[in-house]
Amino acid sequence: MELSITTTRSRQLRKISALVFVFACFLSGTAVAKQTPEEKAQAKEEKAAAKEAAEKAKLPQVFVSEPYLELATGPGRGYPVFHVVEREQSVDVLYRRTDWFKVRDERGVEGWARANDMRRTKLADGSPFVFNLGDRAGFTSHVWEIGIGGGDYGGANLINAYGAYSLTDNMKVEITLSQYLGNSSNGYKAEAGILHVLFPEWRISPILELGTGVVLVEPRATIVLPNDRTDQTAYAGVGARFYLTRRFFLRADYRWHTIFTSRDDNQELEEWKVQIACFF
Amino acid sequence: MESANRLLLLAAVVCATLMFSGCALFRRDKPVEPQQTEEQAAAEEEAEDADSTPPRVIDPNVARRKIKTPKIDNENWEIGVGAGFMSIEDFGTSSTYAGQISYHVTEDFFFRADLGQSTAGKTSFETLGGNIELLTGDERRFTYYSLSLGYNFLPGEVFLGRKLAMNSGFYTLVGIGSVKFAGDNRLTLNLGAGFRVLPTDWLAIHIGVQDRVFNSDLLGEDKVTNNIETLLSATVFF
Repeated sequence: MELSITTTRSRQLRKISALVFVFACFLSGTAVAKQTPEEKAQAKEEKAAAKEAAEKAKLPQVFVSEPYLELATGPGRGYPVFHVVEREQSVDVLYRRTDWFKVRDERGVEGWARANDMRRTKLADGSPFVFNLGDRAGFTSHVWEIGIGGGDYGGANLINAYGAYSLTDNMKVEITLSQYLGNSSNGYKAEAGILHVLFPEWRISPILELGTGVVLVEPRATIVLPNDRTDQTAYAGVGARFYLTRRFFLRADYRWHTIFTSRDDNQELEEWKVQIACFF
Repeated sequence: MESANRLLLLAAVVCATLMFSGCALFRRDKPVEPQQTEEQAAAEEEAEDADSTPPRVIDPNVARRKIKTPKIDNENWEIGVGAGFMSIEDFGTSSTYAGQISYHVTEDFFFRADLGQSTAGKTSFETLGGNIELLTGDERRFTYYSLSLGYNFLPGEVFLGRKLAMNSGFYTLVGIGSVKFAGDNRLTLNLGAGFRVLPTDWLAIHIGVQDRVFNSDLLGEDKVTNNIETLLSATVFF
């Protein structure tokens, strides 16, 4: 290994270490900036500015209706609780990350509240604070889903990612991007189609698919056909979705592809794949 | 006989009268106000009914409460860039640059996509053999991407000095992807782990290592190669 390192290599390494140093400086810079003790007046001004900004942004305000609301230092169950907001006090909801809400209480203390606790808070008019939860109901009815997976495309290995937007609970439009790696050719595919979920409320639900797209075929160097080519493709498919837990589900598909080649005959290919996906 | 019967009947009637009126006799000392108040209330009700609309059992004009869903900003996406080293098996260690995007599904799991590029060095065979070049300049480019599922574990805090605490956490990655190297694409399996520090809630600094495993026959025999990438990256949540 050491033999292979030439002077150019060591120069490159030096370049990299310089880059790492810049990164480290950046990191420590943010730390130093935080560490320097700021004047109280400045802090107050900042707080006032933050309050103003909050009012401008019209953050949703909720009221604690349970005896107290716990605030943790981070959005995870391992982070310690450092503050509690009492009953009847309000918190501004800044944003949400996974199942945690970043909130600010009346005194300007910011922390992370668990979604399960936030469900028990009330809006100013006394109505419950409603938001989507990652559960079975969400699996039935949601807006977006994304997934990644792999499978087989006419004998080639397939790597796949997709995103879908729900028009209704049953009908979705989806975009699939994939790469396949075979013995005779490699290539990429981009497809758009519609997806019909037959029984969205079932834990295991069959799906039907129909779509079209383009496929870029790159024959491997040893094969006679040297030129890359782009062809249109269309597919029909069947599959199933299986709800796992929280926001996750599995999706398995079987698709029949027809590739409209520039040759006399169209090419027909079969594809199957398994993907892990989530909805939000 | 007849008079005796009449006497008996009379006695029975008297007894019955006494018995039935007995309750009233015993309770005579108690006031009979409840009866009076009931009568009064009835009279009052009648008076009220006379000058107001007839009584309604159900008010049909109940305002339906709208359940509002306040718009909450979701910050589950994380995007960033990084730089580091890529140790390409048989081709030495080179610098690498990569971009990454993650979607945090739950507090435990996330999806992550990586895209990076490095340039392979020379094999020891090339270095020792003089002018032998296994690959042309373009073929030495090592471009890779991967789609992974990540798992967060060991959440914690790091302390810088007395006053500053930053959230941190470890994560593991497993996924599939592809690498374009030496004029060919190869399917890769990637396994990795990383450490994430969050100076603020929207900024994260990662130090991560990923092994990108693929089959290669570049040096004559088909073998599994391990290509280890070490990356320092900065990401922002949005």
